[in-house]
Amino acid sequence: MILRSIQVEGWRCFANPMKVGPFAEGLNILHAPNAQGKSTLFEALRRGFTDGHRVSGGGVEALRPWGRALPPTVVIEFAHGGIDYRLTKRFLDPLAKLERLEGTRYVALATGDEADEQVRSILACAPPGKGLAKVQHWGLAQILWAPQGELALEGLSSDAAAGVRASLGAQISSPDTDRLEERIEQAYLEIFTPGGKPRAGQNAAAPVVRLQAELATATQRLQGARSRQQEFEKATRRVENLCAMQKQAANDAEELRKVLEATRSQAQQYGDLVAQKELQEQRLRTAKAVFEGVERRLKAIKDARRDLAAVREEMAGRRRDLPLIVSEVEQREREAAAAEQVIEDLRKVRPRITKLENEAYAARELTSARQTAASLDERLKAVSELNAGLSALKRERAAVMAPDSDSMQAIRQAIKERDDARVRLDASLMTVEIVPAKALSVEVVAGERAGTTTIEPGRPFEVKGSPEVVLDIPSVGRLRARGPAGSGAGARRQRDAATEKLNRLTAPFGTTEANALEALQERARDLDQLIKEQRARLETWLTSEDEETLAGKRTAAQGLIERVLEEYPDWRAELPDPAALHAAAEETKQQFINQIEPAEAKWKSAQAALVDVGKKKAATEASLGDIEKRVIVLDGKLSELASDGKTDEQREAELTDAAIAARAAEGLAVETGGKLATFGDDPRQTVATLERQLAETQKAATDALRQAVHEEGQLQHISAQGPYSALVMAEEEVARLEDGLQRESLKAEAIKVLREVVQTVRNEVVEAVAAPVAKAASRMLQRVAGTSLGEVRVGETFEPVQVAPELAGGPVAIGQLSGGEKEQIHLVTRLALADVLAKDERHLVVFDDILTFTDAGRLARVLKLLEEAAQRLQVLVLTCHPERYRGLSSALFIDLLQCEEATAAA
Amino acid sequence: MRFLHTADWQIGMKAAHAGQAAAQVREERLASARRVVEAAREASAEFIVVAGDTFEDNGVERVLIQRVADILASFGGPVYIIPGNHDPFVPGSVWEHPAWKAAANVHVLVSEEPVEVPGGLLFPCPLREVHADRDPTAWVRVAGQTGIKIGLAHGSVEGIVLEEPDYPIPRDAAERAGLDYVALGHWHSTGTYPDGDGAVRLAYSGTHEQTKFGERDSGNALVVDISGPGAPPDVRPVRVGRLNWLIEEAELREAGDLVRLRSQVEAIPEPAATLVEVRLRGVLSADDEPELRHLEDILAARFLLGRLDASALVPSPADDVWLASLPAGVIRLAAERLRDMAQSAGPKAIPAPEVISRALLELYALSKEAAR
Repeated sequence: MILRSIQVEGWRCFANPMKVGPFAEGLNILHAPNAQGKSTLFEALRRGFTDGHRVSGGGVEALRPWGRALPPTVVIEFAHGGIDYRLTKRFLDPLAKLERLEGTRYVALATGDEADEQVRSILACAPPGKGLAKVQHWGLAQILWAPQGELALEGLSSDAAAGVRASLGAQISSPDTDRLEERIEQAYLEIFTPGGKPRAGQNAAAPVVRLQAELATATQRLQGARSRQQEFEKATRRVENLCAMQKQAANDAEELRKVLEATRSQAQQYGDLVAQKELQEQRLRTAKAVFEGVERRLKAIKDARRDLAAVREEMAGRRRDLPLIVSEVEQREREAAAAEQVIEDLRKVRPRITKLENEAYAARELTSARQTAASLDERLKAVSELNAGLSALKRERAAVMAPDSDSMQAIRQAIKERDDARVRLDASLMTVEIVPAKALSVEVVAGERAGTTTIEPGRPFEVKGSPEVVLDIPSVGRLRARGPAGSGAGARRQRDAATEKLNRLTAPFGTTEANALEALQERARDLDQLIKEQRARLETWLTSEDEETLAGKRTAAQGLIERVLEEYPDWRAELPDPAALHAAAEETKQQFINQIEPAEAKWKSAQAALVDVGKKKAATEASLGDIEKRVIVLDGKLSELASDGKTDEQREAELTDAAIAARAAEGLAVETGGKLATFGDDPRQTVATLERQLAETQKAATDALRQAVHEEGQLQHISAQGPYSALVMAEEEVARLEDGLQRESLKAEAIKVLREVVQTVRNEVVEAVAAPVAKAASRMLQRVAGTSLGEVRVGETFEPVQVAPELAGGPVAIGQLSGGEKEQIHLVTRLALADVLAKDERHLVVFDDILTFTDAGRLARVLKLLEEAAQRLQVLVLTCHPERYRGLSSALFIDLLQCEEATAAA
Repeated sequence: MRFLHTADWQIGMKAAHAGQAAAQVREERLASARRVVEAAREASAEFIVVAGDTFEDNGVERVLIQRVADILASFGGPVYIIPGNHDPFVPGSVWEHPAWKAAANVHVLVSEEPVEVPGGLLFPCPLREVHADRDPTAWVRVAGQTGIKIGLAHGSVEGIVLEEPDYPIPRDAAERAGLDYVALGHWHSTGTYPDGDGAVRLAYSGTHEQTKFGERDSGNALVVDISGPGAPPDVRPVRVGRLNWLIEEAELREAGDLVRLRSQVEAIPEPAATLVEVRLRGVLSADDEPELRHLEDILAARFLLGRLDASALVPSPADDVWLASLPAGVIRLAAERLRDMAQSAGPKAIPAPEVISRALLELYALSKEAAR
């Protein structure tokens, strides 16, 4: 399709008629500044071909010029298949008219919907639904026409893709193929969801799913039927078992009854023998008791008589011993009294020993006090002398005023600051030096030292000052020297401040000279050291005591001396010998000890013997009392034993009779026991056991019978339901459903396989078809961008998806490339597709404001491609940068503004 | 003495293998039972013996018991039945049903003791459990008995291979026990066992109605004549079954084979009483596809049961005719791909060869449908 001209009216910015054309069949550059209506014209072209004229709604309302109720109208003159047409389409006041040029005039070809349809068929457009056409309705224009900012080719609609494929000569699509593929898809979707799962849902379930559900239900029923059948069979066995049990129990009970009868007879005999034996044993026990009673009495009488004789003999012995023990007690008392008297006599020496010990102690005290007093006198004297020396040193130190270390450091710092300030002041001052040839009087008007000075000839005279030095030299004039303002004043202030600080710090010491101050500090340090040494010596004599304490101690020692001498006045004349006095006291004391210790031992021995014999006497007296009591008791017991009035001989005869009776009773009991032993276990217990067994067995038989009756009832109930027949029906239902499911599964699988194979083949064919497009696009891309991006790969609907740079080692998605590369790839793909479509007829290609990211070098190569493409295609480029295309010598440049003026003029 | 020997009615049996005809197959067994009684009447049999497995199971629905009792009662003459291993005499068995007491001429023999029958004595060997390895005829002692003596038992004659070889019965059971004839049940095919003199004293009547595909010599009852004690019995089979169970197997090699097969199937007599399973293998030509559908329709429409198993068929590799009828391009390429897959796929291939062949047939059917 070739565009001849386009005219719009009532369309956005074009309220009035606006015609552009005629266009060249090759390359056209339609240019205008921004917002002049280039894209609007392009839109009118698209809507004219793709939208139905009856379309309404907000989208089409927006086409009207602002504030105007004009119906948007477009008139397109174009050629297709060698015939020229004119399409007139008006929206919102619907009109569609397709005319064909015959000779020099247009003849109506179709109107209304038919016109819409015929125009759409030229670009293989699908009719839009409700509302304006979208990209997918553009047909081949999707490839051929790129609106502003939409150069990217996102994948063609099926119509457009089919058009490309058809042009490539591939028989992928045909009405028959499409119908069949559609039918296959339909058959697939009747069974499966698009995701490949069997279709479920109450009304639209796939037969397989429905059958599976029915089969699940039927299987459940089958399991129930099997259960019931098993229940029936189990019930049958239970009843059989219970009947067998009941029968067995009845037989067992009969057997038990017989055994019980025989055992009861034995039990009767056994009971009689047991009673007889018990009577015999009772008699035996009685005879034994009589024998034992007589035997005990005889033995007790004999024992009592023997004990009584022994006790009486012991009592006589005690009575003989008692007077001897009393005599011994009296002797021991006398010996103890004599030993005590000896001790009392010896203790009378004790006061003399005490006197001697006191005298020796006083002598020791006196000697010690005298020594202490002498020592204290020496220490007091040394302390007094040292204190006098220390006082003299302190006085001398107090007279020396010297700075301490911190003060000295501060003074040094102040001196340094002052000196630094002086240096800076000197450096900042203007210096004027005069060396007069003759004597000269100079008045310093401004300078460090103002005033008049007379200078001798040949002698240099310097005047410093800041910021100027002014000198008046009579008969010569005023001499003024200036320097930089301000620097001297600051230095001076710093110097004065430093001097003042130094004066303040050194004021207590009377000098500002560092050496003098350091000498003072040295002297003070020496004195401090002497004082320290003197104090150390004093501390040595005092030994952590003060002088007053020492004096107190001296007084106490003298007091002690006086007290001793007062008690022993003889010692004033001659001092005692403490050691001799102590030895004399000790000797006297030792003599006393040597005498009193044996005396005390003897007394203790006598005293112990006295205690022992006293105890012996008391024990003998107590024993005699006890023996007398035992005699009384034994006498009573013997009288009681003999109270039966029998003689010993009579008692012996009674004992013999009892022994004979016991032996007779024992023999009878043994004989009866032998008879009982022949029975083995006690048959009476066996009877009880058998009775319990019989009762249990009868109960078991009854229970089994009752249970069997109950189970039979259950069995009848189950069998009445015909569980096997129900099982048969359920199994047949399951088999039928399984058969159906197998058939439907086979069909479903077959449809699935069919669809998969068709899709696989289709993809393979599409890939083969897409190869030439990719190849052509790759060739063009390499011309624009070189070989670095490699080949372009296109998808099933011909959209570029990847490039394959050799260096990347694998394909790279288009999205990962730069903006310029992306638009170049989409452009070359569009051109490649357009080339395919242009095989039979020249087509219009429109690019609205493209290549905004492409650099100048590549743009030049792209333009070359466009020029070449224009040999096969009609190319229309809409741009606001016509200068970028000026290199295209074959292009027709159309100025939109001129067109507007021309239209208005027309 | 003349009597009719029948067995293994298996009333209420499972017939899942008969598909949708299962109910009819079951019902037909009752109809055959009526024909047994009719045959006894026609043969002027003095009595009927039923040698076990009258019912498939003791759990069959009770109405079936009544129906069977009514059928047997309709004979008028005495009928002697023993429980078999499928319907053993156990609590809750079919033999406790009141219908048996109501049918005065029908005697359910549940004790191993001789019973007087017209012309002689009957020694019943009833079964009381499903499985056992004992000889049920072992108890029979005929010493001191006169007249014709016949045994009625259910079990496996030694030497016969059966699915359920319970209750072994010696081949010379009749001679050992001194019986003139032993009427047997358990084996579904009619079978006789001549003794050394050629006299048949041991026989299976077989089931009165065939139960499944592949079962041979069934659908009979035996009319037995015994002229006197020790005389060789005259055993005569009588056809009472009606259903035909047929398997038609065919290998398709060329285009017309299927048409010929269809003609054969159409020629099968009494299709309404016939269950037929057609099993195909070989190659399928495109032109045969409608024929295949036709055959399927005939089988479904005319026969009591008609089944077609075409899973072993593969598309003919040499047949390009129907491929040419498909739209050129993707569809035709896909069809060729499927055909090649079907030819080369092994039996364990995924998808299975059967699925691939079916996919091809579906494509063919859809293409015809789309063309319409």
